[in-house]
Amino acid sequence: MVRALLILGLTVFSIGVAAQKPPVNVVAQQMVDFSKRIDAYMKVRDDATKGLPDVKETGDPAKISGREKALGQAIAKARATAKPGDVFGEEMSAHLKKVLADDWKSRSPADRKALFEELPKGVKLAINQSYPTTLPLVSVPAKLLARLPVLPEALEYRLIDRYFLLRDRDANLIVDVLSGVYPTRDR
Amino acid sequence: MRAPHVLLFSTLSIGALAYVAGNPASPFAAARASAMQQPAAAQASAQVTPPREKDSVRFAIIGDTGTGTSSQYQVGERLTAARQMFPFEFVIMLGDNIYGSERPQDFVTKFEKPYKALLDAKVPFYAALGNHDDPTQRYYKPFNMNGERYYTFSKGSARFFVLDSNYMDQAQLKWLEDELLKANDRWKIAYFHHPLYSSGEKHGSEVDLRTQVEPLFIKYGVDVVFAGHEHFYERIKPQNGIYYFIEGGSAKLRKGDIRKGALTAAGFDTDFTFILAELGKDAMQFQALSRNGKPIDSGSLPLAEEPKKAAESKPPSR
Repeated sequence: MVRALLILGLTVFSIGVAAQKPPVNVVAQQMVDFSKRIDAYMKVRDDATKGLPDVKETGDPAKISGREKALGQAIAKARATAKPGDVFGEEMSAHLKKVLADDWKSRSPADRKALFEELPKGVKLAINQSYPTTLPLVSVPAKLLARLPVLPEALEYRLIDRYFLLRDRDANLIVDVLSGVYPTRDR
Repeated sequence: MRAPHVLLFSTLSIGALAYVAGNPASPFAAARASAMQQPAAAQASAQVTPPREKDSVRFAIIGDTGTGTSSQYQVGERLTAARQMFPFEFVIMLGDNIYGSERPQDFVTKFEKPYKALLDAKVPFYAALGNHDDPTQRYYKPFNMNGERYYTFSKGSARFFVLDSNYMDQAQLKWLEDELLKANDRWKIAYFHHPLYSSGEKHGSEVDLRTQVEPLFIKYGVDVVFAGHEHFYERIKPQNGIYYFIEGGSAKLRKGDIRKGALTAAGFDTDFTFILAELGKDAMQFQALSRNGKPIDSGSLPLAEEPKKAAESKPPSR
């Protein structure tokens, strides 16, 4: 009887062990995937902008704006079919929304009010569109930035209205968009 | 902790001129006499106090400038006039250098023309990026940013750390710490757009940014911090041994926005302003002036002998 119970116990334990999956750090996996998509964007960017003159300091602002425009057009052409989530990815989008929501909740009423007032309202944005040059580039809170995946220098996160953007800094181009990330009111 | 010792000359023009007039050996006597002989535009400089030391670092501070409006031009003219009495070597810009559209002609009307006399006199400008600035401004040679969002430069006994407070990412924080660690300069001055401390109703203190950069300022002995963003002039009571100034009223003005409280040492929100500063051997002299050349605040801030200690910090009121 004891022997039978022992065999039964060992059998149940073995089945349990076999059914267990190796532990996975879900967020880390999302970061790795996101990083691969960023690398893919940078490759498309590099390929698309080959042949454009290197940016240098100049006293002629027309040269700076001309290069920005050319860079943006070349990247947009190479990513003509890009759609929301192509770079962020579905799982990372969900993670980022949670990070943003947690960040909002963690802020004092005064901080929320200040941030909310800074964000331009009534803005319509799309991928491959230029960031509106007449609107401010609202600062991304430093503590929030510290919780976001690190980007290459060519890219940056931006907040505007209720959007969370991935923006190409020198091309002034919207690379990806997450919508509905912040409340519509200062709450 | 450094004693928050401030010598105020709020009735500056008469007192300061009397002080200098009683010192005929002053190396600036000739410049002062020349300025005093010119009745019209140069009278603006008559209310400006000349530098006190021969080999000091002298500079002007302007913020939130790029409007292209008449007020920007008027401050530009006043700045030029002030240089007759206070021969500053360079100008620092605290961000929002070009508001609105950034077409090539905007760089002309919102920067080159308002400061033409200074640019013609080869006075260099060193810009920080504001929230209204496209980061590609870093390639605009007259802003002297070397193509970088954040950078450092030295003048005499001072090192300046110019930050991009719009985007304080980990790479920038690491760079800042590395540069502060390397710096052996007598004066360490940081400037950027968003104020860590402010009594402004509209924006207020950038608490989030403060948690990231202030510990580095304290640890590595930054002496003075300049910021803009708030469209007025404010001098903050020393925080953790560091002097903080806001100058965001050099072309934009938010009248009546200062809520004077525990942070405010001096504030002015009824006209456009700029600051003149002199880094001497043991103290920084400063004078803030209005568009009309009226002195609105001035004083002498002693240099700390020892790096500030975080343990001496007091919790700010906001």
